Amino acid sequence: MKRRAFLAGGATALLGCGRDKRPRLNVYNWSSYIDPAMVERFEREQGVRVRYGTYEGNEEMLAKVVTGNSGWDVVFPTHSRLAPMARHNLLAPLDARRLPSLGNLDARFRRPVWDADLRWGVPYMWNATGIVYNRQQTAVPTGWDALWSAGLKGRMTMLDDPEDVIGVCLQKLGFPFDSVEERQLQAAKREAVRQKQLLRAYINAEVRDQLVAGDVLAAQLWSTTAAQAMRAAPQLAFAYPREGYPLYCDCAAVLRESKRYELAHEFLDFLLRPEVAAANARVADTATANGAARRLLPADAVLYPPDEIYARGVWPPALPSAAQRYRDRLWTEIKAA
Amino acid sequence: MSRALSVYAAAALVFLHAPLVVLVLFSFNGGRFTVWEGFSLRWYQAAVSDPQLAEGLVNSLLIAVVAGVLSTVIGTLAAYGMWRRASPVLSGALYLSLVTPEIVTGVSLLALFQWAFRFLHLQLGLYTVVIAHVAFSIAYVTIVVSSRLRSYDRTLEEAAMDLGATEWGAFRRVTLPSIAPAVAAAGLLALVVSFDDYVITSLVAGVDSQTLPMVIYAMARRGVSPVVNAVSALIVVAFGAVIVVAERLQKR
Amino acid sequence: MNTRWWFLLPARVWTALFLLAPLGIVGAYSVLTRGDYGGVEAPWTMESYTRLIDPLYLAILWRSVWMATLSTVLCALLGFPLALFIARAGRRKNLWLQLVLLPFWTSFLVRTYAWLFILRDTGLVNTVLQRLHVIRTPLPLLYNDGAVLLGLVYSFLPFFVLPVYAALERLDGSLAEAAADLGARPLSTLRRVILPLSAPGIAAGCVLVFIPCLGSYLTPDLLGGGKTVMVGNLIQNQFTTARDWPFGSATSLVLMLVSALALLMMMRSPATKEML
Repeated sequence: MKRRAFLAGGATALLGCGRDKRPRLNVYNWSSYIDPAMVERFEREQGVRVRYGTYEGNEEMLAKVVTGNSGWDVVFPTHSRLAPMARHNLLAPLDARRLPSLGNLDARFRRPVWDADLRWGVPYMWNATGIVYNRQQTAVPTGWDALWSAGLKGRMTMLDDPEDVIGVCLQKLGFPFDSVEERQLQAAKREAVRQKQLLRAYINAEVRDQLVAGDVLAAQLWSTTAAQAMRAAPQLAFAYPREGYPLYCDCAAVLRESKRYELAHEFLDFLLRPEVAAANARVADTATANGAARRLLPADAVLYPPDEIYARGVWPPALPSAAQRYRDRLWTEIKAA
Repeated sequence: MSRALSVYAAAALVFLHAPLVVLVLFSFNGGRFTVWEGFSLRWYQAAVSDPQLAEGLVNSLLIAVVAGVLSTVIGTLAAYGMWRRASPVLSGALYLSLVTPEIVTGVSLLALFQWAFRFLHLQLGLYTVVIAHVAFSIAYVTIVVSSRLRSYDRTLEEAAMDLGATEWGAFRRVTLPSIAPAVAAAGLLALVVSFDDYVITSLVAGVDSQTLPMVIYAMARRGVSPVVNAVSALIVVAFGAVIVVAERLQKR
Repeated sequence: MNTRWWFLLPARVWTALFLLAPLGIVGAYSVLTRGDYGGVEAPWTMESYTRLIDPLYLAILWRSVWMATLSTVLCALLGFPLALFIARAGRRKNLWLQLVLLPFWTSFLVRTYAWLFILRDTGLVNTVLQRLHVIRTPLPLLYNDGAVLLGLVYSFLPFFVLPVYAALERLDGSLAEAAADLGARPLSTLRRVILPLSAPGIAAGCVLVFIPCLGSYLTPDLLGGGKTVMVGNLIQNQFTTARDWPFGSATSLVLMLVSALALLMMMRSPATKEML
């Protein structure tokens, strides 16, 4: 017992806490996804401390919280991870009575397909995958097939992500983005292998600089990253393909392990305030799910596509184990081809 | 031969430092991307006023120093012990740590910690990062120090022991001073490896232990990279200054 | 209880607790079933290993071994003279050592991004060459195996230089001078004096470069443009996008086995027996 107390004491000393007696909320979010000034404001208003940490991917966050003693209170999983996390007893059901500002959500996010009663997560920011292109040197792309044009050989890139690449190949062929049918997936793989000869690379956010500098003329990219590049380079534009495109929404959720359930709700409700959500959206450079906040932000047809375009978007669900494994195998084959 | 060697070393240094020149240059760029848009200090302003960066830097330095010293001591002792008489099990284990991919080291240590926390009322923190860094640095230190010991003359130490020195005394007074430069080189490697590690660190870091690489990865992958350039430039200049000052002091 | 036992104790404790125990966990993962959304579940199965017996994965492994070998050879060619120079730099050698390590105090990601800028079509090298009218269209320097090799050599050069320097450090010119005084020509000094002396360092350097190269994944992704897979990418993917921890564990155990065999072969071969 003595040794345990010693170990704990040593750990506390190393952690450097114990000085501040205010209650503390531990928030684990994607990087650059909040305005630090808003965190400070919440601390002042509530007389609490907020420990804010960041992660780079859902898997990194999941690896930490999966055992239920990570120490975090609030996390921001992507919409498709909410249901599996809830099924594994990792999330605490939300209490709508403690979230009076839910009404500020955009109509599109009040009853989302992945969590119709907003039981597990409050939609926070969202994002789509489309085509960013150089207006001066390419034709306006209308569909995904633009990323197969031989004329742009070596000047196009795709995302380095199996879900996005295989999904897009499926959509190009007229199949659903989240297909689990072997025949359709095989056809998609052949498309991807054919396309690989024409591609410069499979890269993610790193393509921004090369779009701005003119090395890359067309790329599959997230609308938010594209919007950043477009601000620096007016020759760039963004297109939502006619076959459809994937949408992603990160949602604020409370972990079941949290011992600060009420405070976590206070924080979620704070994030729903229009001016707070607007400030966060400005810093994150992303589309907010908060309709009231959107009215405070400049109009942006890239981040907020109009209804007829929005209707073409799909919210990919989490795939079952076998399908996921089959896709990974195809992805390895594409990469090794 | 030595002139050719000098020219060659200068060329190698250019190769090693070329990216540094580029990142220092772009840390003064007014624009967000690597396209020149005029001179500006705005990224430096952003860098020095960012509390996350400052905290990450302090954490990283702390971790690197503690982990570096621990792994240098443990690794040097082990290299010496194995030099006296081979220990196949330990050297096998150390080679295994080298051949483990980073993500596997990270995931498996995370699993171990999470299992241990069921019995100890602890959480991930700076100390778990230190433990992980020491775990993968011992092998580096041992290998570097061993490569020096292999060409070390055993008779010197035997002579000392014949004159009545204990094993420990012979190690401390005779062997350690003559292999000191190699130990220093090994320690430096451990420091650098710890300071730069991202994959393992991000997996075993806890609520209060964001390190500088974690902050930098977060910034760079989301579009505030010029701040990252400014931070890196500041670090390079600071370490460069330390090196030059240390060199001057040594000469006196 | 002799003193030697105490020398080895801390390393033994640390490796047992924080290297071998986690490795046991990896071993257990590799014979479990993939959890639906990451993690592992019952039942026990060897499926992850049988899946690996597949020309696709063997080709990836072979390719990785080949790239790692090339990088190691390049590191040796570049690193050996540099280590020799530093070891002979007299009082300046610490300064040189620090200068070689200076770039590595910046983040790996930042250094790699700097290379992206140097190598891309509108980058430093191509712009300068075009201005000087040496070339008309930009050279494809980025997103190929050459760029991956460059990135690997750049990242792991210090891992070669440091052990060779550590082995050569006591050379300090005097031995070579003595050899020269006795009438040895530079090349035979190199062959007869310097190379044997540095052999353990060279062997250690090769190990320290070859093995991390084999498992690298960020360099092939960022400088190779993700157009090829190395075994490091395969493993990384299993723990991230594919969420298949058992397969990732099995793959990395096989990779570790291959690396260990390579090491063992090196140690057993008569040419290098003295080195390791």
